[in-house]
Order: sequence, then structure tokens, then C-alpha cells
Amino acid sequence: MLPINSKRRELKAREAILRGVYEDNLKIIGGQSAAPDWRIPLFVKKMILFYSVLLLTILGQGSYLDLPLFPERQMAAGIITQEQQPLSPPEADENQITSSDYQEFLGSAPLSRMFGLGVKTIMIDAGHGGDDPGTAGKMGTKEKDITLDIAKKLKERLKRRGSYNIIMTREEDITLPLNKRVELARASKADIFISIHLNYLPSKPINIIETYYFGPSSDVKTLRLAEQENAGSQYGLSDFKDIIEKMGKTLKLQESKELAASIQKNLFINSKKKNNSIHNLGIKRAPFVVLLGVDIPAVLAEVSCLSNRQEEIELSFESHRENIARYIEAGILDYLNKGDTNYEAKRNTGRR
Amino acid sequence: MKQKETQEEGNILFVGIDLGTSRSSISASNGTRQWIESYVGWPKDFISLQVVGKPVLFGADALKHRLSLDLCRPLEHGVIKEGVEKNEEAVKEIIKYLIELAKPEPEQKIYAVVGVPADTLKVNKLAIRRAVSEFAHSLMVVSEPFAVAYGLNLLNNSLVIDIGAGTTDLCIMHGAIPSEEDQKTIVNAGDYIDEQLYSYLTEKFPNSKFNKNMVRQFKEKYSFVREIAGDIRVEIPVDGKPVMHDIKNEVKRACESILPALIETTTEMIARFDPEFQTKIKNNIVLAGGGSLIRGLSEYLRDALKEYGPCNVTCVEDPLFAGSNGALKLAQDMPAKYWEPLQEVKS
Ligand SMILES: Nc1ncnc2c1ncn2[C@@H]1O[C@H](COP(=O)(O)OP(=O)(O)O)[C@@H](O)[C@H]1O
Ligand SMILES: [Mg+2]
Ligand SMILES: [Zn+2]
Repeated sequence: MLPINSKRRELKAREAILRGVYEDNLKIIGGQSAAPDWRIPLFVKKMILFYSVLLLTILGQGSYLDLPLFPERQMAAGIITQEQQPLSPPEADENQITSSDYQEFLGSAPLSRMFGLGVKTIMIDAGHGGDDPGTAGKMGTKEKDITLDIAKKLKERLKRRGSYNIIMTREEDITLPLNKRVELARASKADIFISIHLNYLPSKPINIIETYYFGPSSDVKTLRLAEQENAGSQYGLSDFKDIIEKMGKTLKLQESKELAASIQKNLFINSKKKNNSIHNLGIKRAPFVVLLGVDIPAVLAEVSCLSNRQEEIELSFESHRENIARYIEAGILDYLNKGDTNYEAKRNTGRR
Repeated sequence: MKQKETQEEGNILFVGIDLGTSRSSISASNGTRQWIESYVGWPKDFISLQVVGKPVLFGADALKHRLSLDLCRPLEHGVIKEGVEKNEEAVKEIIKYLIELAKPEPEQKIYAVVGVPADTLKVNKLAIRRAVSEFAHSLMVVSEPFAVAYGLNLLNNSLVIDIGAGTTDLCIMHGAIPSEEDQKTIVNAGDYIDEQLYSYLTEKFPNSKFNKNMVRQFKEKYSFVREIAGDIRVEIPVDGKPVMHDIKNEVKRACESILPALIETTTEMIARFDPEFQTKIKNNIVLAGGGSLIRGLSEYLRDALKEYGPCNVTCVEDPLFAGSNGALKLAQDMPAKYWEPLQEVKS
């Protein structure tokens, strides 16, 4: 089938292929290999920090025009102190939900109930996809693949409940810009929007769970994460500011916070039963593009952490991913059915 | 082309396994070729255990006793059962059973290459490795269409389209291990055709009694695209009496329903390359998997892709074993120095 003169090329190709298969598998079991290092290069880190601080300044000042220009040295000093802050415990975080916050919401009926008894539409957004892999673990697990798998599992679970309409922003490994996701969510008339992501903490060997809703943030780490998750969107910094101002203390913001709290609670409490060393970073506000353009309660959950070696291994098991979907589902159901005595009675006897 | 093996060779059984969504097969260096349907069933209770007489059943055997069993098709696309721990257990059982079918000698070491659907591989790499590692001394996991391509010696300038039950996997080969961009998965495959055919038939014959299994058998017997001579008529009970039904049009529509997505993905994948390479790939398109048995499929694709220049589409000779044969060839060609670091520590 092949011309004789290409035999040598074929031999070389075969050698390359066999070595490639070997290296791929070595990477899976975590052996030494020529595989690329996933750590973010220093200059990229610097860039992210720079933009984070810029964003922080803008949001903190509340005005784009008042942006003061930092001398470079001063800013660098600022970055270092921010960097050295230890990971704050939940109670100390100002963006953390507190019991009084919670109290504030307990009185208000969920937005979901205002939709009456009709079928509710839930939009699930699997983070990243296609050319945008998101973060990646050391064995090569990609955020985009795990988020899609969990999103599909969540969809199947919610569909089995029989009383929800489920829409996904993507069901395959395709590139979908953030503004396209926002458009889809707006056009779909969904009642709630859940975006699924995985965290990556380059410097800390821990596993964390956190859930975000849209809003201004003054935390550098949060802003850095937002910068990563927003990468590739066509929104400018000024877009954030306008919308944040308009949103104020709208119903959407409050409902999003409540939905976030419900998902975070279910995710964390249940994950903790399996893995005692997991950290609860609670719910936080952050300027994620996918959340901001959506007029309905919208949250972004960082459901697991790919930088954690053990967690990356766990994520390769379908049962672990199914469990994560199960906890998110429980969070959604708790939120949607809050105040429904029937549901709560069932929930308390554990027959869900 | 085969690597020089060490004097140990006689003590190693090389196996290639194709872990499919609907069928799984094994090819071994001792000449064994075996396949089973990818079903695993466990007796529901003690009585069922007495009835079926085995703690675990596979393939057709499991299907036959379906009423007494908890049945699991572990890699089935999109279906997630309550306990997925079971899926993982089922994968293990299938591997174990296939390796038993290969009849290794007691002292023989098993070196296995396992091909899995490309999408499964992305998220389950380590889980699959763990599932296999109990039964093999050293192993490598690869994507299924890649194993097919390797087995057919299509190392360069080629496109393999593997139409299975749950997914259609496409893989472009260009002389290196395919990267993620070289592989695409679409969810329109055999199961999708079954669903379409089922709904077309229930629509056309609302009073006739079908089930999914019958519909799949019709498909496997009569599948075609484009035109064929003659009628397609099948016997289906209506009010308990067998009645002949003309299903030709429905079979054609159902089989063709997977083609738009397939053609779109194929052209997209090819378009990424420069024109010279595009021409080469188009002369080397190979269809694999159960779906490649659809009559007229290669001609259909050839015509559909013609507007971008001439092209040549062929089908693999043995779709059932193309994957496991390719995996076996990979296993046998793999130098010993690559097997050693991947050995599993046996307790
Ligand atoms: N003659 C045929 N015509 C059309 N489809 C077929 C034929 N024979 C088998 N199939 C279908 O091919 C699929 C199985 O292909 P296979 O490659 O074994 O799948 P997998 O690799 O996903 O297990 C099933 O959907 C089956 O119905
Ligand atoms: Mg297959
Ligand atoms: Zn992300």
C-alpha cells in the first residue's frame, strides 16, 4: 500500500507513536516523563496579578474614571503582601456568607416560587470546552472534560425528577465563548443558571470547594480566579462596573446568593463525609462574565480542585463525579423547593 | 517490523482489548479472538443466584437472564444508573472475563493494550487503568479509533471513522500519536439510529407492537443509505397476529440521520490541515465499527465529500476485531523497555 521510499518515514512514525503511547500512560500513573509542566509561567502570573489589581482598584473605587495610576514599584509591593496572606478561614472572609446573612434571606420566598407551579427550566453550563481546556491536573486531566461529564450527570439526574426542563450550554467538547453562553442563557428563558468549574491552587496542596455568585469582590485571589475564568470573553472592565452598579441589591443578586449557599452547603457537607481534609471556602461574590449577563439566579461552583493530586485521581472515577453531580442536584432541589413542606418532610427522612 | 523480544517472550501473553459501548473484544498473541456484548449482570437475590447458577453473567448470557439480574452496560453513552460504583465494577468484570477467554498459561505474564472510546478515555483514564491492572502485569490504555488506525497500518495521512453504538469517533493520523485536536467524538451513532427507527416505525404503524431490541435487529439486518433494489418487509405482530410491514423508507431515513453531523465534523477536521495534506487524507478514509456495515455508507460519504476534491472511502474488513487486533499489534510492537516502567506491582 505504501511506496517503498516512504518505508523509512513509516518506521520513524511508528517509533514516535509507540513512544507517545508509552509517555501518555506513564503520565497517567504519575511517573517521570517528558510531559509538559502545567505550572503557570511567572510572567503570566505577573500579568494576571497586574490585571487583578487593576480590576480590584476599579471595583473598589466604584468609578472607572477615578482610577489612580500606581507607580510600578508601589504596586509590586502591594502584590507581595496580598500574595503572602494565608488562605483565610471561612469566618474571616468578608465575602463569606454569615449566619446573619443567612437570616436575612430566610424570610424571603425563593424567586423560583414566583414562577408558580409550572415546569422550571434549569440551565447547566459546563465550564470551558474545545480550544479552551480550562485548568489541567498533573496527569493531564482537563477541567473542560470533567466539567462536561459532571454537567451531563447532573442533567440526567435532574431529568429523572421528571419535573424540570434541563438545558445545557454545551453537550460536546466544543469551544463556546463566554458571551455566547450568556446569550444562550438569556434566550432560553431558564429560571436558574449553574456554571460548573474546577479550581486550581498552584501553591497549596489542598482541596477546596467554593461557590460564587455575581458581584463585586475585593479579594485578590477571587479576582485572579475571575480573570482566569473570564479569559477569552469579549467584555471589557468597564462593562463590569456598569452592570454591578445597576444590579445593586436586586432580587437576582439575593436569589443567586441563596442558590449559591444551598449548593455550597450540599457540596461541602457531603464531600466532607468522604474526604475529611476538604476546605470550605463558602460562597463569595465575584465578577464572572458568565454570571453577570444572566437575568436569573446564577451561580458558578468550583466543585473540586485539579491541582490536588489525590483529587485528580478521585475525579477519574465515575462514582466520584456522579457524587459531585448528586450534591449539586441536592443543592438545587433544596433551593427550588424551599418552603415546600412536602419536600422538606421527605428530605428530613432522607427519602429523596 | 516487529520488535526483537527478549528470551522471555514465551512467558508473556500479549493481549489487545477493545472495550466498546456495546461490544467488547479481545485478540491475544496465542491466536485467541473472542467477543462479548458489553453487558454484565449480577443475580438480584439468592433465588436468582440459584436460577442462573453463577455470581456474574456476561453478554448474551446476561441478556437471556435479564429478569433475574441487575443488568449493567457500563460504557453506554448518556445512561447513568443509580449506583455508578457498579459501572466500575462491571468494567472490571468484563476485562477479567475477556482475559480468561484468552486462556493464558498459569505462569504467563499478561501485557495488555486496552482501547476505549475517546471520550471515556478523557475522564476515566486512571479508573480504567485501575480496573485492568488487577488482571494484567503491565498495561497501556489508548483511544479506540487510534488502535484501529494502528492495526491497519494507517500511521500517516489517514482518517479513521469508528461508528459504534454510543458514539462515532474520528481520528486523524499524521505520523505521530494523535493529539486532542486530531480526535473528535460525536454522539450520533448506532443507538441514535435505533431511536430514530423506533420513533419512525411507531409513528407509521401505531397499532403494531415493537420493542427496541426488535428494531435494532431490523437495522442490523437491513441497514442501508442511498438506494438499494427490492423491498424491505418484516413480520410484526398486530393484535397477536404476524403482519408484514414495509419499513424500507424508515430504515433509510434512520440510517441517514447520523450523516449530517458526521459529514460536518469530517469536513471540519480535514479543513484544519494544509491543502496538500487534505488531499492525502481524503484518499485514505476508513470506516470502522458496527456502523460501517451500513450498506452504501462509503459511497455516500465519498459523494458528500467530493465537492472538496476526489476522495476514497473504504470499510475495515473485520469491524468486530479491528480495534482489538490493532491494540494487540500495538502491544506486540511495543519495545520491552516501555512495558517495564508500566508494570503493576502485584501484592
Ligand atoms: N449491519 C449493521 N448495520 C448497521 N448497524 C450495525 C450493523 N451491525 C451492527 N451494527 C451496530 O453497530 C453498533 C455496534 O458497533 P460496535 O463497533 O461494536 O460498537 P461499540 O464499539 O460502541 O461497542 C450497534 O449500534 C449495532 O446495532
Ligand atoms: Mg468500538
Ligand atoms: Zn474554570
